[in-house]
Amino acid sequence: MKRLRMSRRARRDMFAFIGFTAPNFLLLGVFVFWPIIYSLYLSFFKWNMISPKKTFLGVANYQALFSDPVFWQVTRNTLTLALFTVFIKLAIALTIALQLNRNPKGGSIYRAIIFSPTFTTSVAVAMVWTWIFEPTYGLFRYLFRALGSTSPDWVHSVQWSLPAVIIVLIWSGIGYDMVLFLAGLKNIPLEIYDAALVDGVSPWQNFIYITFPLLSPTTFFLTITSFIGALKAFDIISIMTEGGPLNTSNVYVLYLYQNAFQWFKTGYASAISLILFLLIMIITLIQNKLASRWVHY
Amino acid sequence: MRKFLLLSLVVLCVLGTLPLWAGAVVEKAPEGPTKIVYWRSLTGVAGDVQDELVAKFNQSQDKVIVEAQFQGAYAELLQKLFAALAAGEMPDLVLLDSPFVTLFAKDGALVSLDEFVKKDTSGFNLKDFIPGLMQDGYYAGSLYALPLMRSTPLLYVNGDMLAAAGLPRRAPKTWDEFREFCKKVTKFDQAGQPIQQGAGFTIGQTTAHWYFQGGVYSFGGQVSDENFGIHLNEEPAIKLATLWQDMVFKDKTAIPSNSHDDFLNKKVAMVFGSTGSMGNLLSRADFEVIPAFMPAQVKNQVPVGGAVIAMTSSDKRRQEATWEFMKFMTNAESNSQIVIKTGYMPISKASMVYPATVAYFDANPIRKVAIDQLIYTCPQASVISLGKGTEILRQMVEKLLIGNRDPKKVMEETTADLLKEYNESFK
Amino acid sequence: MGNVAKKRPFRWYLGRLGTQIILLTISLVIGLPFFWMVTTSLKSPAEVAIFPPIWWPKVIRWDNFITAWNLAPFGRFYLNSTITASTGVVLEVAIASLSAYAFARIRFKYRDILFLVMLAAMMIPSQIGLIPNYVVLKHLRWINTYQGIVIPHVSSVFGAFLLRQYFLSVPSALYDAAEIEGLGHVQTLFYIALPLARPVLGTLVLYLFLAKWNSYLWPLIVTNTQSMRTLPVGLAMVRTAEYAIGPEHLMAASLFVLVPPLIVYFIAQKQLIEGIAAGAVKG
Repeated sequence: MKRLRMSRRARRDMFAFIGFTAPNFLLLGVFVFWPIIYSLYLSFFKWNMISPKKTFLGVANYQALFSDPVFWQVTRNTLTLALFTVFIKLAIALTIALQLNRNPKGGSIYRAIIFSPTFTTSVAVAMVWTWIFEPTYGLFRYLFRALGSTSPDWVHSVQWSLPAVIIVLIWSGIGYDMVLFLAGLKNIPLEIYDAALVDGVSPWQNFIYITFPLLSPTTFFLTITSFIGALKAFDIISIMTEGGPLNTSNVYVLYLYQNAFQWFKTGYASAISLILFLLIMIITLIQNKLASRWVHY
Repeated sequence: MRKFLLLSLVVLCVLGTLPLWAGAVVEKAPEGPTKIVYWRSLTGVAGDVQDELVAKFNQSQDKVIVEAQFQGAYAELLQKLFAALAAGEMPDLVLLDSPFVTLFAKDGALVSLDEFVKKDTSGFNLKDFIPGLMQDGYYAGSLYALPLMRSTPLLYVNGDMLAAAGLPRRAPKTWDEFREFCKKVTKFDQAGQPIQQGAGFTIGQTTAHWYFQGGVYSFGGQVSDENFGIHLNEEPAIKLATLWQDMVFKDKTAIPSNSHDDFLNKKVAMVFGSTGSMGNLLSRADFEVIPAFMPAQVKNQVPVGGAVIAMTSSDKRRQEATWEFMKFMTNAESNSQIVIKTGYMPISKASMVYPATVAYFDANPIRKVAIDQLIYTCPQASVISLGKGTEILRQMVEKLLIGNRDPKKVMEETTADLLKEYNESFK
Repeated sequence: MGNVAKKRPFRWYLGRLGTQIILLTISLVIGLPFFWMVTTSLKSPAEVAIFPPIWWPKVIRWDNFITAWNLAPFGRFYLNSTITASTGVVLEVAIASLSAYAFARIRFKYRDILFLVMLAAMMIPSQIGLIPNYVVLKHLRWINTYQGIVIPHVSSVFGAFLLRQYFLSVPSALYDAAEIEGLGHVQTLFYIALPLARPVLGTLVLYLFLAKWNSYLWPLIVTNTQSMRTLPVGLAMVRTAEYAIGPEHLMAASLFVLVPPLIVYFIAQKQLIEGIAAGAVKG
C-alpha cells in the first residue's frame, strides 16, 4: 500500500519534472548543445560555407591549428588578458567593497556610479574608449602629459593594445564584482569582529584572518565567472582593435570569428571553438578542485 | 501572487502570437510585380545614392519592386553573404567588393550573366563599358558582375599645409618627391614630439593592401599575377616596402594611420584614399584638398577597386527582374548620378559623355582626376581573391610599418603565407 | 564599529577620510568616460579637435543629437530593442522559474545528472552557435524576425541556477506546509516559491534585460534589414561608415543606446543590489 502511494507520487513528480524542464532542455538542446556536435562534425572537414561539397580532412584542421603561430599567440593573449583582468578587477572590487562596507557618507551614490558600467553597451563602451585612447586629441594623452609622461598610441601599438583592452574590461567589470563582494561582506556576522576586538586584533589581521577566509565563497564564484567571461571576450576587442596590430590583442573568440566569417574557414574555426570549449571546461574543473582546498564555506 | 498569474498570462499570450510574428515577416509569393532583394553596402552619400536609384527604379515601372537592404561595410556584407549561403537564404543581387567575384563565382554562388547579355533586346551594350573596369567581373571566361561603384587609390593632399611649408600647391609626382615633400612638412615640438607629419600610410583597414599594390605597380612590379605567381620578393615590392618603412622609422616624416581623421585634423599633410571618399573629404575639410594620382616612380598604374553588382538569385523569374534592375543601375543616367554624388568613376563611355556628367566635370575640374586615371587602371592582384588574402597583406603592411621588421624577411614570410593559403583554399 | 569611534576618534576620522578619498577617486575614474561621452557629444567639430582638450563646450551643440539621430533610423532601432529585449526577458524568466523549481523541489531519479548537463551549457561559448544556429533558424524560416533574435537566447542556465539556490534557501517547512495543504507543483511554484523569490526575480529581470538590450553579435548575424536591427547593431553600423564620422556624432549616437538601461538601473538600483546579494553568492 505504502509502496504504491510512493510510486504514484514518484510518477507524478516525474511528469512534473519533465514538464517543468522540457522548454529549457529543448532550447538548450537545439541552440546550445547541437552546435557543439555540428561544430565537431565540421571540424573534420574543409568547407568554406559556400561550396556544396565538404572535403573530409580527418584531424588535419587540428594539426594545422597546433602548428599555427597565430593560434599560439592568440592563446597567450587570451590567457594574459584573462589573468590580468580577473586579478586586477577582483583586487580593486574588493578594495571598494571593503570601503563601502564601512557605511561611508554617500556610499549609495558611490556604489551607483561604480556599478553603472555594468549597464553600458559594449559597442558604446568601445567607442568612447577608442576616443579616449585617441593619440592626438584623446583624454589619455592629456592625462599622461599632466603626469609628465607621454601616452602611447594605445590601440595601434604592439605593446599597448592588449593593456588597453584589459583596462576597458576591468573598467566595465569592477561594478558587478564589487556588488557581489559587498553582499559577501554583509553576510559575515559582526559578532565575529566583536570577538576579535576583545582580543585586540588589528584591522589588517581582521582582514587576513577573518574577512578574507569568510569571503572566499564569493571570491571563488567571481574568479570562475570572471575568468570564463574573459576567455569569451569579443565585442569590445572586435570594435576597439580588431585584434591588431599584428594580432597582439587577438583572442580566441575573435580569431574563431575571423576564421569563420572573414576567411571562410569553417572547419578550422570549428576546431578553434572546440579547443575553447575544452579550455573553459578544464579551467572550471581545476578551479573546482582548488576550491575544496581553500574555500571555507 | 496575482502578478505572477499575470506574468504567466503574458507568457502565454506572447507564445500565442509567435505564429503571427512569423506570418508578418515571411513574405508570401506575391502576385503581380516581382519583388527582389538587393543587399547594399556603403554609407553616407554612397549609400544614399543607391537608395535614391532604387526608389527611382521602383517608380519608373510596375513589374519589379526592389528592396534595398543595407548590410554594413564590405567586410560585414561578405560575412552576411556567407552566412546566407550556408543557410541557403540568398538575396537576389549583391554589391560585392570586386576581388571577391572570383571566390563566389568559383563555388557557383553567382549567376552567370552571359545568357542575359545574349538574350537582351533592349539595346544593352557590353562593349560600351570601360574595359579596365570589366576584367574582374569575369571568371573562367564567363561574365558574373557589372561594375557599379568603381574607384582607384588616390593621394589626397592638404594644399594649405604644403604651401605653409614653402612647397607648391600640387601633389608630388614621384615617390622621391613624395619623400622630399614629407620631410619639408614635418614639424616637431621642443620635446621632440611631432606636431605635424608628411603622410599617413593606411593600415589596419581591409583596404591597407590596396595602396601597397598601387605603390608596387608604380615601381613597375606587381604583387601577384593571374596564375598566382607571387612577386613580392622582387625589387619593386622590396623597394616600396623599404621606402615606406624608412619614412616611418628613419625620417619620421610619415605615420601608420588608421583613419582619414589624421588628415582632416591636419596631423598629416597627405593621405591615401579611394576616389569614393572624394565627396566626403572635400566637404568635410576646412582646407584645400587636392585629389591626385598616387606617386609614380616608373609608371602610372593603379589597381581598380570598389564594388560591382552580382546576381545571386536562384529563381528564374526573379533573375529576369534582377537583370532589369542591373541594367537600370548601370545605365548612363544612373551612373552619372553616382559619379556626381560620390566621386566614383564613370563606368561606361555613355556615362562619360552624358550631359550631366560633362557639365559636372566642367564645373568641378578638381574631380576630373577620377576620369583621368581611368586609362591607368588594371585589376587587383589575384591573391586578393583568396579567402585570407587581404588579411595576409594587411598583416604584411603592419609588420613593415608597426613591427619595423626587415622588409626582405617580411616579403618572404608573406609569400609563403599566400602560397599556403592558395594551396589550402583555392586549388 | 561604533565602539571603536568612541575609543579612538582621531584614527576613526582618519580612516573615514581615507575611505572617502579611495571611493571618490575610483568613482571619478569610473565616471570619467561617461562624462567624456556627454561632453564630446555637445561639442563643435572644432572643439573636438583641440589639444589639450577642453572639459566643457563654450556653446552647447544640441543639434549634434539631431544629426546623430538622422545617421540611421534610431527610432526603429529603439522599437526593435524594446520588443526583443522585453519578450526575451519574459520568456527566459518563465523558463528559468520552471527549471529552477524542478531542480530545487521535484524529486526525480536523473535530477542531479540533468542539473550537471544544464550547468555544462554554461561552459559553452555562445559563439560556437553562430553557424549552426543560423542554419536551424533558416529551417524555421526565422531569419530576420523578432523570434529569430529572441528564441535562441531564452534558454536559461544562470537564471535557473540563481533561482534554484533561492528556492533551496526557503525553509522546507514552507513547502511541507504547501504539500499538506494539497498544493501541486504548479501552485507551489506560483503561490510559495516565486512570491518569496521576488527580490531575486527583480534582479534577474534587470540583468536579463541588460544582457539582451546590449547583445551585439547575434542580432548582427540574424538581421538583414534596417527595420529589424537593434540599437547596438545600428550603432555599430554607423561606426563602420566608409567616411569619417565626427566623434561628437558618434558619442551622441552612443548615448542613444546607453541612456535607457542607465535609467532603468538608477530607478531600480536598490532592489538590484539587494537581490543579487540574496541570490548569487550563496554557493
